[in-house]
Amino acid sequence: MQSTIHLNKTAMCRSKVVLAICVVAANSFPVSSVGAAEGELHDRVDKLIDARATDLTFAENAADVDFLRRVYLDLAGRIPSADEARQFRSDTTPVKRTALIDALLAGPDYPRRMQELFHVTLMERRGDHEEWTGFLRTAFEQNLPWHQVAAAILKPDADHEDLRGAAFFQTQRLVKEGAMAPIDVPGLTRDVGRLFAGVDLQCAQCHDHLTVSDYSQQDFQGLHMVFENVDIRRDVKFPAIGEKLMTEQKEFSSVFEHVKLKTSPVVPGGGEFEIAAFEKEQQYIELPDRKKRTTGVPRFSPLSELSSGLASPDNKLFCRNIVNRLWFMMMGRGLVEPLDLHHTDNPATHPELLDLLSQEFARHDFNIRWLLRELALTKTYQRSSALPDGAAEPPRTSYAVSLEKRISAEQLFWSVGIACGEFEAVQLEIQSTVDATAGPRTAEQLVKESETLAALQKQLASTFGNPPKEPEVDFTPTVAGALFLMHSDDVRRLLNPRPGNLVHRLSGLESDEEVINELFLCVLSRNPSLAEKADVLKYLQSSDVRRIDCLANLTWAVLTSTEFMVNH
Amino acid sequence: MSCESSFEAVPMKSPACNISQHNVSRRRILGTTAGAASGLGLGALGGLVQPAIGEELKKQEKQVLLLWLDGGMSQLESWDPKPNTQFGGPYRSIPTSLPGVHISELMPRTAAMMHHLAVVRSMETVDNSHSSGVPRMLRGDPTNRGVVYPFWGSAVAKLMGATASGLPPYVWVKPGNGGFISKYAGFLGAKYGALALGDGKPPTNLVRPDDLAERDAKERRKLQQLFNQRYAVGRRKQWNEANSYVYDVADTLMKHTRLFDESLLPGKDRERYGRHDFGRHTLLARNLLESGVRFVQVTSYGWDTHGDNFNAHSSRVPKVDQTFAALLQDLIDRSMMDNVLVVMMAEFGRTPRINGSVGRDHWPNAWSMAMTGSGIRTGQVLGETSPDGTEVTSHPLDIGHMFHTWYTALGLESQHAEFVNDGQPLPIANDEMAPVKELLS
Repeated sequence: MQSTIHLNKTAMCRSKVVLAICVVAANSFPVSSVGAAEGELHDRVDKLIDARATDLTFAENAADVDFLRRVYLDLAGRIPSADEARQFRSDTTPVKRTALIDALLAGPDYPRRMQELFHVTLMERRGDHEEWTGFLRTAFEQNLPWHQVAAAILKPDADHEDLRGAAFFQTQRLVKEGAMAPIDVPGLTRDVGRLFAGVDLQCAQCHDHLTVSDYSQQDFQGLHMVFENVDIRRDVKFPAIGEKLMTEQKEFSSVFEHVKLKTSPVVPGGGEFEIAAFEKEQQYIELPDRKKRTTGVPRFSPLSELSSGLASPDNKLFCRNIVNRLWFMMMGRGLVEPLDLHHTDNPATHPELLDLLSQEFARHDFNIRWLLRELALTKTYQRSSALPDGAAEPPRTSYAVSLEKRISAEQLFWSVGIACGEFEAVQLEIQSTVDATAGPRTAEQLVKESETLAALQKQLASTFGNPPKEPEVDFTPTVAGALFLMHSDDVRRLLNPRPGNLVHRLSGLESDEEVINELFLCVLSRNPSLAEKADVLKYLQSSDVRRIDCLANLTWAVLTSTEFMVNH
Repeated sequence: MSCESSFEAVPMKSPACNISQHNVSRRRILGTTAGAASGLGLGALGGLVQPAIGEELKKQEKQVLLLWLDGGMSQLESWDPKPNTQFGGPYRSIPTSLPGVHISELMPRTAAMMHHLAVVRSMETVDNSHSSGVPRMLRGDPTNRGVVYPFWGSAVAKLMGATASGLPPYVWVKPGNGGFISKYAGFLGAKYGALALGDGKPPTNLVRPDDLAERDAKERRKLQQLFNQRYAVGRRKQWNEANSYVYDVADTLMKHTRLFDESLLPGKDRERYGRHDFGRHTLLARNLLESGVRFVQVTSYGWDTHGDNFNAHSSRVPKVDQTFAALLQDLIDRSMMDNVLVVMMAEFGRTPRINGSVGRDHWPNAWSMAMTGSGIRTGQVLGETSPDGTEVTSHPLDIGHMFHTWYTALGLESQHAEFVNDGQPLPIANDEMAPVKELLS
């Protein structure tokens, strides 16, 4: 380690990210010593959570209906349908939660949910591409290990038809955004650090980070030189990148000291790697060809080195970053927050837990499905989000009470469609207008066939997603979102009674009692409380002549309630 | 200039608490109060403000207008010209209504109103990139305490709240898209974000459609509130409050749809302010201030003139000149100068050195800004730069000093007031700096 750190002795420069990490790395990853003898991972997680919250009152185990909705949203990316809710309710076997977790992880929704989740996480709403979507879908259908997913993105393989779309992560960030704006290579550098190593090196671009002593300017510059060397390929139609020849170290200097320094490429959490030197005639595997508009293929690929150094079980930052993000996705808070600010002075709330998770995840071959299963099985995950009676609000970091989570625009779309019976309505429309014999379609197929559904999906994404380049972490309701739900054509259309949809179905029910039960089950996946029943009955009985309007109003109110808009 | 150096030694000042025994660590006292408050469940939603801002202050209804020239207007082609010097560029300087003070010939109308302004020519800040310079300036460069500080508008929204009008306290008029920009609120939480009016247009879906009866719209909201109240029992307050809050803002905005209708503004005003974006958006800002918005920010983009600086400024600066002069006249005519603090600035200035593309690059080392209105001593130019414009030679000021000055001008105790976030006391302005007395009336 020392030799790589001090490669540039004259420059007196060192990669601090490595330095901070190698201290810990020395006494970690004794892979063989961590065995099944210490119990299942989910039990060990609970023990570590409990150990740091001994003085707090824990919330009870979440009710079945709450668990049901939560686990559907997290693992299937949508609420359960009324039928699915009924089925779970009538299941009396003691292991039904475990069975449901397994079913969802093996089910058809899981790859779509993961595709959407990782798309939003990695692209941060910079746009989409069918090749990229295809890559993510394939990755999660095949449950590709995370280090392979990451490697496919860091060093895309244009010859691998299923995975080549991964290049979109880089190409979309290397697009010129207007005449005056330079191509944002620093932005790409920053995002690779943030999203794959959990380190935001942006503020170390022009000098060592002023407040984070782990992040040095060399960390930034050494990573940046790898991406300065990347070009978008023009000779193919799909997103693809090439690399230019790299033969020399990069010169840089701090804006404070103006001393010239040099660095070789640096892997976040992995140190510098040497620039391999070849004889001039040996430098290229494939020579550049201006006529074919190809940049050639140099023998030395910094991206390959970066990819193998970063996407590796030996890279502590790489392992911690992903488990912290998956933990955040399931539990509503990162063990390290901000998610992209891992460093010595910003330790995890439960450092031993973060270590355990990253070791076990690496030991299980970066199996995302396995880790999500273990997390879903924890008592921590399955706790209620309601405060115990009379107890003060415990710190968010204690997980003594389950944290509410933001619902993504994608989760919202599928959930709204299910709640309002929109997919059934569209299915019936297709049968009545296009093809009477049309068989049942999945919701995803319906979106491809129906312009209005596709438009709704797009509208929700633009209204409830964050602006481009912003991570989606907190629940941030917006005035635009409220106005959209109140006044937009899209939402009003959902509430107009049409054969198959919820309001239409409600209008056909005999009693008010049935109406309220159906409404709550379809939208909130639960039964109404007595008090809620009384409220709704009172409202429905106040007016007979405007029955349809009243049903639409009720549906709107439940659909836009905080309970529906968050994952609790 | 005096600088507060020791955080621990500053005695706590609070209307309820001014006995000498209370001259103990603010951190300790605030830690205790905040702890007690959150025990009562009051700690949610972006924390508290210490000392509590008096109702008296809120009644004064001070307001802020921030004119933001994004990318960085050249000080040499505006407030601090250096004609006939190495880096001076082609434009001359002209005399102003302040004896002895000259500004660029590109600003004749503003020059005639110079006695209504305070101009600082000695800004010396640190960031020379847009991505970190913009947030640093808009946050006032507070001492780093490991939290994300709010932008100025969000901070004022928190410290002073909405005015009696009930209108959203922080409105941002900008070209391009609008929306609700929550990230500006930092640790204060989404509620204090900016309502952005893209191209000065009202938010989409603001108007209730004809086929939704008012009665139905009202019933919907009533039912929704009923469900939300039931859900909130026994849950953390923050998200429920945030979700209800956006509907409240929507309701308020719906009552003011006329505010956003440009066509209702007198044609004469639109001529005076100019029909370009900056003119239209600033006129809308005047309207928003008159209607009671606490903090209005107008952004003009495209000042990053790395190439062709002089042609760009000769087309852009006169537009700003026209609009700014019209605005000043209106604020004077309407007696709004006593209540409205106006600041025109950017994230930095531009290099004196002219680059190979006849452009000027980023220059935080020595640049200018202008201010007027509530609490500001006008009719002065503060600070000087060297003859070639490359460095500050007197009264070097950082953005932290300016935040202290502006907060003081608004009636806040800038060196004592604090946000309290999760029990952590957070000074509202850089605690190593202090207000600039020369700039205060």
